[in-house]
Amino acid sequence: MIALRVAVYWGCVIPTIQYAYEMSVREVFPRLSIELVDLEDFSCCGLPVRSVNAYASVYLAARNLAIAEKTGLEDLLVPCNGCHLSLSEAKQYLSGDEELRRKVNSLLGEEGLELKGSMRIWHTIDFLHDLIGEERIRESVRRRLERLRFAPHYGCHILRPSGWGRVDDSESPTKLDDLLGWLGAEGVDYPEKLDCCGNLLLLSHPDAAFSFAGLKLKALKESGVDGVVDCCPSCHMMFDMRQGSLGATVGATLDVPVLYYTQLLGLAMGIDVESLGLHLNRSPADELLKKIS
Amino acid sequence: MSILDLMTTKKPDLKLRSKVFGKIGEHSPYDCFQCIRCTSGCPSMKMLELKPHEVVSLARLGFVDDVVDSGVLWACAMCLKCKERCPQEVAPVDLIMALRNLAVEMEATVPESFLKSVSMILETGFVQKPQRTVTRRMEKVDRDRLGLPRFREASDRFKSVFMKALGTF
Repeated sequence: MIALRVAVYWGCVIPTIQYAYEMSVREVFPRLSIELVDLEDFSCCGLPVRSVNAYASVYLAARNLAIAEKTGLEDLLVPCNGCHLSLSEAKQYLSGDEELRRKVNSLLGEEGLELKGSMRIWHTIDFLHDLIGEERIRESVRRRLERLRFAPHYGCHILRPSGWGRVDDSESPTKLDDLLGWLGAEGVDYPEKLDCCGNLLLLSHPDAAFSFAGLKLKALKESGVDGVVDCCPSCHMMFDMRQGSLGATVGATLDVPVLYYTQLLGLAMGIDVESLGLHLNRSPADELLKKIS
Repeated sequence: MSILDLMTTKKPDLKLRSKVFGKIGEHSPYDCFQCIRCTSGCPSMKMLELKPHEVVSLARLGFVDDVVDSGVLWACAMCLKCKERCPQEVAPVDLIMALRNLAVEMEATVPESFLKSVSMILETGFVQKPQRTVTRRMEKVDRDRLGLPRFREASDRFKSVFMKALGTF
């Protein structure tokens, strides 16, 4: 099998707090013959600046794309949903607006950068589903996760708005469900599947943010799944790290294991728990780990 | 958070309206026929009574400063369902973002955390520095302990260009 070299853009949230996602991606991808190439001097993707200054936000996204292009590689992996949206949108805005492109490139020029817009932007989910594919994922599994039922949480920003290089169907996504199936597990359908985690409301309305995530987890707990599987560091922070606050807000005792898909894939590949950062999950992952080993 | 009665006799500010509409590209609020599909799917409608169709309507009528001052803009979770589902491609979320930018520019009340994120990016290149965290067994860890490569803050050169970017547009 030919190894593929892929540039990886981590953004802010993954490398400053969501270490389990970074660890599991770094473990899992090489086992699928993917070599990850880290970027030099990258910065925030621009999404957190959008509410303050949309154009500065586009500049930030363009800067990271230009830095990624310097690797000379064709593919860029962006494991964070928010970063994936910000970079994909900037690529599209800049290709259709010559004046904006000129302005942004003149700023980029001050650092010796220039945006061509040539790279393919991938998220973890479509990279594994579309590029790696069923056969290679199935072949990588050493321990099938039979009889386990997971609720897939896709997150808003890899699904919407459709037509902007999004990862899956905006109203009926199935790729994460497929990926779970290839490990022997079952991805269950549920009414709240498309609902938002509320993370971006933390800055202005934290109680409402906790209600968003809390109500979704409460419904999932009642449905009796073995866990929730997600693929975005911001969603994961809500569902995994804050179950105490979420439960207090919505009046429920929440104890649902929440894992990144890459952690689950790593477990199925037979990788040890600590290498996948599974000791960092704050939700009761031990219950689930017992069922797997 | 209450906003203006749409049947008000107040005088609209048309200059401010063109300024905002200049920032939202092809998604024209004039195409909205108030079907309320955006509001019916809005998760912030349930929690915080955000009504995207009302924001579109008020802006279209020229009552921009009323929306900017009302606080409703900061109830949006950016889930993008309104943009996805609008049959007229109006994108209420894009209008809300443009109005937030205007609120910053007009020095209206803006939740402080939004501005803090920007100053943190100016300082380090990121919304936060790498944090120490704890395992489920309450053991303190950081990137180094976890065997992750060293994290570098953005260069000084970047910081000065970003400062310029915030002022250029």
